[in-house]
Parts: sequence; C-alpha cells; structure tokens
Amino acid sequence: MTGRISRRDALAGIGLAVGSAGCAGRARNIAGREGSSQLVLEIRTTPADEDPNGIRIARALAENLDAVGVDTRVETMNGTDLHRTVLLNHDFDVYVGQYTEVLPFDPDVLYGLIHSKFTAEAGWQNPFGFTDLDVDELLEQQRAAAESDRARIVSDLQESVCEKQPFTVVAFPDALAAARTDRFVGWETGPPISATGLLTMDLVDERDEDDGEPVTLRLATTDGRITENWNPIAAEYRRYGTFMSMLYDRLAIVDDGTTIPWLAREWEWIDPETIEIGLRDSTWHDGEPLTAEDVAFTYEFLRDTSMGGTEMPVPAPQFRGRGSIVESTDVVDDSTVRLIVGGADEAVAERALQVPILPRHVWIDRAETATVGGFEFDTETTEALVTSNEDPVGSGPMRFIESTPGERVVFERNPDHFLVRSGSDGSEDAEADGDTAESTAGTEDGESIPAPYRGKPAFERLEVAIVGSDVSAVQWVADGYADGTVSNLGPDSVPRIGRESDARLVSTQSAAFYYVGYNARRAPLSNPRFRGIVASLVDKSTIVDDAFAGYARPATSPLATSPEWVPGNLRWDDDREEDPVHPFRGEDGSLDAEATREALREIGYRFDESDRLLARDQ
Amino acid sequence: MTPLLPVVTSVLFWVAAMCLVAGVAVVGPRRLYGVGENLVPYLRESRREVAALIVVLVVSGIGRPALQSISEVFGLRLTGLIFALEGNFVAWLQGTFQSPRLTLYFSSVYVFGYAFLLVFPFIAYAALPESTTLKRLIVAYTLNYAIGLVLYTVVLAYGPRNLMPDAVTSLLYTFNPNFQTLTGEVNVETNVFPSLHTSLSVTVATFAALTHGRYPRWTPIAWWIAGSVVVSTMYLGIHWLTDVMFGTALALGCVYLSYRYVDAVGDRDGDVADQNAADRNVADRNAADHNVDDGAVEDPTEGGSA
Repeated sequence: MTGRISRRDALAGIGLAVGSAGCAGRARNIAGREGSSQLVLEIRTTPADEDPNGIRIARALAENLDAVGVDTRVETMNGTDLHRTVLLNHDFDVYVGQYTEVLPFDPDVLYGLIHSKFTAEAGWQNPFGFTDLDVDELLEQQRAAAESDRARIVSDLQESVCEKQPFTVVAFPDALAAARTDRFVGWETGPPISATGLLTMDLVDERDEDDGEPVTLRLATTDGRITENWNPIAAEYRRYGTFMSMLYDRLAIVDDGTTIPWLAREWEWIDPETIEIGLRDSTWHDGEPLTAEDVAFTYEFLRDTSMGGTEMPVPAPQFRGRGSIVESTDVVDDSTVRLIVGGADEAVAERALQVPILPRHVWIDRAETATVGGFEFDTETTEALVTSNEDPVGSGPMRFIESTPGERVVFERNPDHFLVRSGSDGSEDAEADGDTAESTAGTEDGESIPAPYRGKPAFERLEVAIVGSDVSAVQWVADGYADGTVSNLGPDSVPRIGRESDARLVSTQSAAFYYVGYNARRAPLSNPRFRGIVASLVDKSTIVDDAFAGYARPATSPLATSPEWVPGNLRWDDDREEDPVHPFRGEDGSLDAEATREALREIGYRFDESDRLLARDQ
Repeated sequence: MTPLLPVVTSVLFWVAAMCLVAGVAVVGPRRLYGVGENLVPYLRESRREVAALIVVLVVSGIGRPALQSISEVFGLRLTGLIFALEGNFVAWLQGTFQSPRLTLYFSSVYVFGYAFLLVFPFIAYAALPESTTLKRLIVAYTLNYAIGLVLYTVVLAYGPRNLMPDAVTSLLYTFNPNFQTLTGEVNVETNVFPSLHTSLSVTVATFAALTHGRYPRWTPIAWWIAGSVVVSTMYLGIHWLTDVMFGTALALGCVYLSYRYVDAVGDRDGDVADQNAADRNVADRNAADHNVDDGAVEDPTEGGSA
C-alpha cells in the first residue's frame, strides 16, 4: 500500500467496520488529519491575440513549474477579465501582467503597489496582498526623506523587494509600433502609446490634407476596452491610460523626465508641507468652467469615491498610491488650490500632481452605492467605480465623439484647450525660447508650455480601430488603413513590418515592465522563500530572446528604467547574464529540475515518489 | 475605412463561382432550373424552421456581446483543462505538416470552402422534388447554431493559437491578416468550444451521405471539403482536437434530431398544388408525433398568396 488515497479509503472502511470507541478514535486521529496532494497553480494572463508577449512568459514559467513537480495550468482571459479577477477580486494564484506606466517613474510607485495598508482594497493598490514590516517602513521613509537620504532608502527598498519578490520583474519591453511616416512624424520622440507621444507628433505637410476632411490620426490596437468604457478610475478597463490622459488633464505631466506644469499653470511650495497651485483658465468639455473646487474634489474622491456616504471609505482602484500623498486640500479661490502633502519629498509630491482631474458636477452624483435594477449588491461599490462614463466630460486636449463597441472610437480636438490656444498666441515665443521645459513658472499660458506641445495636437480627429491581433494591426498600417499601431507587437508581427515597404518599425523605451504577480494571500505563495524559487524558474534572458524577439531588456528591479535609483548590485548590465538575486536554475534555457527540487526541500517542501510537490489539500 | 469590404467581396465572389460550377456539375442544368420554382414554396413550407434559424442567427449576432459578458462572469474557464486533456496535439499537427502550400490550401478551405459548403446544399436540396431534405437541413443548421451558442456562453475557452503562440502559429491570420477582420465580425475568440466550423461541415457531409442516391457526385466533394475544414481548424491553430470531437458529435446529434423532427413519410405525398394543406398536415402530424407544441396559428389568408 503505497498510495495515499487508498490508505485513507481503507482507514475510512476500517473505522466504519470496527465501530468500537477506542478504534474509532484512533481512526479519527489518523483520517481526520488533512492529507497532502500535488500543488496546483494557475497562471492567468491575456491571450496571444490581445498581447503576444505575456502569454509566452506564462507558458515558459508553467513549463518549468511543471518540470519541478507543480501541476501548473495557464488560463487565458481578456484584459478586463484579468484585471477584474486579479485586481478587484484577488482571485488568482499567479498572473502575468504589464505595469501601467509607459514613461519612467518615481520610486514612490512602489508605495501604492506593495504597502501593506492597501491589502484589503480593490485595485492597483497592492493586488498581491504583500505584507512586510520592513518594506512598509522603507516605503514610509522614502516618502518623507530628505533628497540625499532618499537614494539610500530607495536602494535598500529595492534590495528588500527583490529579495522578497512580491512580484517578479521579467523584462522591460521596447514600445514597438508599426508606423507610416507619410502623414505624421514624431513616432520616435515619445512612445506613441503615451499621451505625450501622441501630442507631440507633427503633421508632415498640411497642404496634402487640405481636402475639406479633418486631419485624422488613425491608430490600430488589439485592446477594445477603449470602445466600451471611458472611466479613468476603472482599473479593469485601463491599460496605460493613454487615451484617458488625452480626455482628462492632469495638474502636471512628465516630459522627458521632467515634471512640467499642465493644467496647473504653476506651483509653489509655501511651506514644507503645502504646495500652492495656480490653475490655467480652462473649461470642461461640456462648457462648465474648471475650478479649484474640482481639484479638491478629485483628491477627496480618489480616497473615498462614496464621499463619506458609506460606513467605510471606498477608494478608487487607480491612482490610489498617488492620491494618498495628498493629505488634504484647501481651496483659496477659483483658480488657486493648496495641497497639504505632509512633508513629502518634492519628487514624490510632484507625482501626486499626476492624477486626472475630474469634474465635480459630473462625479458627485456617482458617489452613491452602485445598484443593479434598483438593488444594492455591495456597499463597497460606488457608482463611480462601475460606470462606463459614457460621453466623458474631461478638460483635456481631445474630447470624445463616438464609439462602436469592439470596432472603433473617435475623438476630436478640443478647440478651447490651452495647448491649442498656446499655438495661436505663443508661436513666436516657441521659436525664441527653446528650453521652456526648464521653467515651471510663467504667467501666460504659452510661456510654461514646452515648445513641442504648443498648438498641439497636430490632428483634428483621432480614430482608434480595434483589430484582431498584432499581426492584423501591422497589416492595417501596411495597407494604409491606419497610421500606426498602439498595442504590443510580438515575434510574429515584427518581421512582417520589415517586409512591408510602407510600414516602419518604431522602437522606443517603455517603463511598462512585464512581471509575474503572486497572490501572497495563498499558501505556498505567501512564503517569500517559495516565491524566490519560483522567481528563479523565470529564465529572463531566454524569454527576452523568444517572447520579445530581443526587443526587451531583462531586469531585476522595477525601477530599471530610472537607473539613477538602482544600486549596482541590482543592475542588469550588458555583461550580466543572469539575475543577480534569483538567478535562473539551469543553463542555456534548460532547467535543472532536480537542483530546484533540492532547493525546495531545503526550505521545507516535500515531494512524493513521482517528484510531485506536495501541498496541503486546499 | 477597413479591409472588411474587400474580404467580404472576395468571399462572395468565390462562393458564387463555386456554387455555379457545382450546381451544373452536381445538380445538372435541368434540375437547376427547378430551384427557381421550388425555392419560394419550399421556404414557405418550412417557414417555421426558417424563422427559427433566423431567430437563432439574430440572437447570436445581436445578443453576442451580452452573452459574452455573462460568459465572462459565470462561464466555465476551460482553456487550461482542455490543454491538460489533449496536450500538444495541435502543436504536433502543425509542427509536423506545416508548409506554405498546405497553409494556402487550408486557409482557403477554412474561409472559402467552408462558406461554399454551407451555402451549396440550399441550392442542391431546393432542386429536389420535395422539400423534406431542405427542411431537415435548416433544422440541423438551427440546432447547430443554437446549441453552439449555449455552449459558447457556458464555456469560456481560447484556442491553441491564443494559449500557446510559442508552439502554435496563428497560420490563418499570418497568411492573410485581413481574414481576421472577417472572422472577428462573425465570432469571438473565446468561442472555440465546440468548433462550429467542424459541426456544420460534418452536418453537411452527413446529409451528403444520406442523400447519396440523389446526388452521388456531391458526396465525395462534400466529404473532401468537410474533412479539409475539420483538419484546417486544427492545422491553422484555431481549434483544439477536443473542440473538433465535440463538434462532430454535435453534428451527428443535430442531423439525427432533424430526421426525428421532419418526418420523411409525411412529406412524400406533399402536393405542390396544395402547399398550404400539405404544410398544415405536416405541422399537425409533427405536433401529434413529437408532442411539439409550438402554438403557431396558421394564417388562413396566407393561402391566397400562394
């Protein structure tokens, strides 16, 4: 009798047959113990049509986990579904995803991602359920530290995070796009998947476009969510938030690594805890004026979308980390507002300025508890979280026109936007004043807007078409149905661009790293040592070659696109071939399964006679 | 502007051309003339079946987004299970036999051959002297779509090309990416279980076998195309072997049910001169035989237009 199950079955039979108190007690003592069986893990990710890279990472990891003795299944689901189950419901073991920010970001990103105070919340705030006292401490310290100390704290923080692996950074992909340059140029200057990238593009020759039709930039993507939902805080529908950033202005944006005033005309530190912000003259797309009240409302709303209407706050599932920097707000007058940031570092506070400002008159009605057919399902959900936000009212450079779900969405230039205005009154300044990016103070609109943005966007209409896959997207560009692609391209589509004479491959750096996320609420993923061994099954170099066709850089730290923050021992330089913290357990892409099992045995895991990793029955 | 129009145009052109050739070769010019006379009365005779087919197609066309949402929230996610069941069969199939010629062949069969296979039986069976077979075909199509729609809602699964792009290339769409614009119009990527391409093709092939006496030439053609479509769904990386096997079972079940539903004996004496009476007889008999209570009230005024 070697089989575990047959022994238990036999015991159950004996227990019934004997029936005497002493024997039954012994049988209970044995059979009543929970048995073990093979560990089953499910890896969730999006299908290849939607994102060609993530599924390849998931498959490679699943294969290695299987070899070690974990029964691993890959389950594909679309982006909405993935975000809903992972970010909102925390119903997952392992998932492969992509971070949401395309441009290099401040280390304070980690605060929202892994601070233990967010574990109970739904959204991008700590979806991993990661809890670690030391990490919490470092996250708090880096927020408040003086600039000189911050580098050291951030470096300690990364070392701690890389060791404990709440998630495993796999690689930073290049933002690849197929683009036509016969009508628009500037695809390379900012990634076309970022709002700033799209805004700074230039029209090749306006005379060519003089046929009565509006100048239209046509993009192709595999992500249909933008045709169904325009809610900037709905985590399940947003990827990078590119088009949301064009609909909704932020107080400040990042341009080439520098935070520049945007909806804020200027800001000033009036004491170490308070920033005073002067707003530009701006109106909402519905004609209402944008005031300081809207800004104050937005920060309160991100903290609690019920606006105090429910027993417990219902925080927004997006921008939570950033929103939490602002402790309170103080409206001075219609165009001036003060943000109290509690001694946060300047760079951290500037990050707080990068949230979409929402119109109070639209969103205040959405603070109520969400209902379906008049019934409340759950007091933890407000209307704001579930509304699709049809006919979005923003203040940004583009406004929503129309949409056909799953097919296309159309935006139109907002003629009242300060970028458009700056083009008409500040065009001479643009020539004379080359490095306006440096200046953050200015009285006139034109002065504080860097030259590449003045008078932009260069298109009157923006049409986003939804296509079936990356290969289709490339073909649309090659055949002239679209000017550029804005979703990820995989190894099947990249070579295709080379074969098409009218399409060019555009490659820019992206900070939106791919990662493997673990649900630390579930054993054995709750064990940082176990996660460390899973991390060592991710063969980052091979994945970069196979899944990204080389168009990515393997990485260890989530801050790798901001190398100034990354300590030398965590950098993945050209001469480094393996992960410095959790190197791959094998060579040349092939795993050493026996050595991995040995490492797992050392940290207390057991295997059965057929090398299956045992876990308590779940 | 999208690539949809050129793709649809080319499909229509090729299907029409193939139907014309097959019509002459299989049905014969003389009987082909009968199609024009028979089609309208036959369809009127089968109006309830035609209506049911239209209802199912409209529901699947319009209701798909809603059913898709239901599927996402409540459906069974079976991609991982299907893969665990059958493993790398599709990858093996593609890896072993892949060649540019076969890709061209199977892509064409999957798009053009399949459309032809579905349309041509309408023409062929409308040329027959009685409407029984056409009616059965319509019933079988309806059942295929209806059951398929239910299974698509219950089961949420992605095909091999979406789960294992490293091992299975999406050959149809790398061969011609614009085909994806077409298939995207009629299907969702999560609708792989069961394979309706398989079930409808096998349905047509089964009918071709059962009507071998009428159209001896059609049987080998239908079998060849249906077989190719079935293989193409896997060769192109779109469906799992599991989908194909369930699709085949679904097809045989639907053909069986369509024979049960449309009684062969009842239509043999169907007199073309008195369509309405024959129709009523059949309807009555069906209701009696199979306890089909459709509650349809025959419109007496409709006889006048016949």
